Amino acid sequence: MDILLQLLMSGVALGMIYAVIAFGYQSTFATSGTLNFGQGEALMLGAMVGLSLSGDIMGGPYVNYWLMVPLVLLFGALQGALVEFVGVRPAIKTKSEFGWIMSTIALGIIFRNVAENVWGRDDLPFPSPLPTTPIHLFGANVLPMELMVVVGAILMMALVEFFNRRSIYGKAVVATSSDRDAAGLMGINTGLVITFSYALSSMSAAFAGVLIAPITLTGASMGAVLGLKAFAVAIIGGLTSGLGVIVGGLLLGVAETTTGFYVSTGYKDVPGLVLLLLVLAIKPSGLFGKTTIKKV
Amino acid sequence: MLESPARLAVAVSQRIYYKAGHYNEEMIMRFAIPKRAAQLLGAALVTLALDVIAADPIKIGVSGPFTGGSSPMGLSMRDGVRLATDEINKAGGVLGRQIQLIERDDEAKNERGVQIAQELINKEQVVADVGFINTGVSLASQRFYEEAKIPVINNVSTGSLVTKQFLPPEFPDNYIFRTSANDTIQSGMIVDEAVTKRKFTKVAILADSTNYGQLGREDLERALKAKGITPVAVEKFNIKDTDMTSQLLKAKAAGAQIILTYAIGPELAQIANGMAKLGWKVPMVGSWTLSMANFIDNAGANSEGARMPQTFIQEPNTPKRKAFIEAYLKAYHPANGRITSPVSAAQGYDSMYLLAAAIKQAGSTDGPKVRAALENLTQKVEGVVTNYNKPYSHDNHEAISANIPVMGEVSGGHVVYAYEEDRKNPLHTK
Repeated sequence: MDILLQLLMSGVALGMIYAVIAFGYQSTFATSGTLNFGQGEALMLGAMVGLSLSGDIMGGPYVNYWLMVPLVLLFGALQGALVEFVGVRPAIKTKSEFGWIMSTIALGIIFRNVAENVWGRDDLPFPSPLPTTPIHLFGANVLPMELMVVVGAILMMALVEFFNRRSIYGKAVVATSSDRDAAGLMGINTGLVITFSYALSSMSAAFAGVLIAPITLTGASMGAVLGLKAFAVAIIGGLTSGLGVIVGGLLLGVAETTTGFYVSTGYKDVPGLVLLLLVLAIKPSGLFGKTTIKKV
Repeated sequence: MLESPARLAVAVSQRIYYKAGHYNEEMIMRFAIPKRAAQLLGAALVTLALDVIAADPIKIGVSGPFTGGSSPMGLSMRDGVRLATDEINKAGGVLGRQIQLIERDDEAKNERGVQIAQELINKEQVVADVGFINTGVSLASQRFYEEAKIPVINNVSTGSLVTKQFLPPEFPDNYIFRTSANDTIQSGMIVDEAVTKRKFTKVAILADSTNYGQLGREDLERALKAKGITPVAVEKFNIKDTDMTSQLLKAKAAGAQIILTYAIGPELAQIANGMAKLGWKVPMVGSWTLSMANFIDNAGANSEGARMPQTFIQEPNTPKRKAFIEAYLKAYHPANGRITSPVSAAQGYDSMYLLAAAIKQAGSTDGPKVRAALENLTQKVEGVVTNYNKPYSHDNHEAISANIPVMGEVSGGHVVYAYEEDRKNPLHTK
């Protein structure tokens, strides 16, 4: 029982990491129908900038962890806006179906190469802002930082949800995602809304980066695997559902840890991918996604 | 692209010689140059050009990962090789010629290794190659050197198969040598430490899913079997995995008293950190990569006490080692005065000295002659790892025997001797 509980807890912590990144995929898809495939790199950049500010690798520490977080959020927002401006806007303007896929992937590779040149290619430790001794919770061990990942992820998603529902700007985002052309006719600057959604997407990835860096390792290649798994989560949960990414993330995280223990660690990635295939075959819009009919 | 002025001179002078001697006599007559004089001029130019060639540097390839996850090993190896080369060149070089290193980054990728091997052999025309950190890259690239009859000294790759790819009768001569402790030796030492010295009977193996990890796991299982022990858990993980909970819980549930590892730095750190998280502390013993700086730094206090076989520990306990450490620190200034991968640096340094000695003995840079000299090295070579007295024979291309490596232990962020008697009695020879 203890073991199952431990597996579930670790799975939840892992799943929430996936969910935060998947959330970023969702926010841009909602407004513009495009995705930022450099999401993993946005996460890595957030973690690296965070480490430069609050770690000692660039002659720091300049600020402590908690003050660093808003700075990283700002950096993430700017980076996302840049991706949108350079990679996505031209593709949307020319109504290119696939241009944004290539350009966001290309930008992701460029960001990774830049990071390799600035920070090197080695994995670096990220000093933990919370104690690293585990806490006992119902007979299982959890790191304080893992709890923070879960709390931070939920908090961030709740804030965005609140913003969308309660503020006038949020309503513009919602309007753009339900019908971009109609929103444009109503006087909403949909181009700006799309830029904003990219900023939000990279901001959430950068936030995820600084949240998880103390429990994983920080390095130029840290985003690659996470970005890919989060993409699977976004597909499983549905690209249009906020609840979907959380459930999808938890499913994948728990599937990984439990398969690792009860079947074999060699197969731990398989159930998640099988789930992905099943979802694509049976409910392509995702477990919680709305089916949209594309009229031609 | 001019390869070298000397070669151009040869080409030009040969042309003159040819024209003067045999081909275009009327032309020579028309320019009123006596035939004999033209021949002499041509011959003189050829000799001159050959003299210039004789002073040409000896080109030696250095291939390893200088970027990516294995780069701490690759860069330390390269710096060790550079250090030895500088010393040899300052002392007058080999056969009166300077050594020139042609360094290439294989990025720890097999296909890059293959490309580089072909470039070094065909374009750069290297005399020999030292390097290779990753067993997979060694196995993929060496075939080209074997076919070109160019000797290779693997100075870091540890896979047991590395030196045994080209054996008689299919290949009469093997051109692949090694200055590192192979996995058979290492797994033997790991099992000896866990089972014989520390009397554990329930062991778990954690290995990554790469060639390195899985071949090492097989070696470990074989060594355990020889002691009559079956591991209680054998677990696997991928590069970049961040969560080791299920692997560790399986080992814990099976009652493991010790964890044996075959993986590289970052994932080893995740294992150590994962154990701390589960509040489960058992000793960790594994392959030499537990000495990697990216394991020690990323695991911090959780890395304390991890043990691994080492051919060299940064401790000036012989005059040669003292000189090597001082020269290395002076030349490359590693952070905190700690060589990133001391083992790679020392093995790289020794590989270059062995190669230079062989070229000197062969009196030539001809591949088969250098190979023959390596297999019967009459000069004793004082190295950092050990003193090499006939390190190789025709059928044994391993310079490091089982008695040479010692157990290292992580202590205070450094790798130190696990056993005091090894520190006091530092030098073992084959």
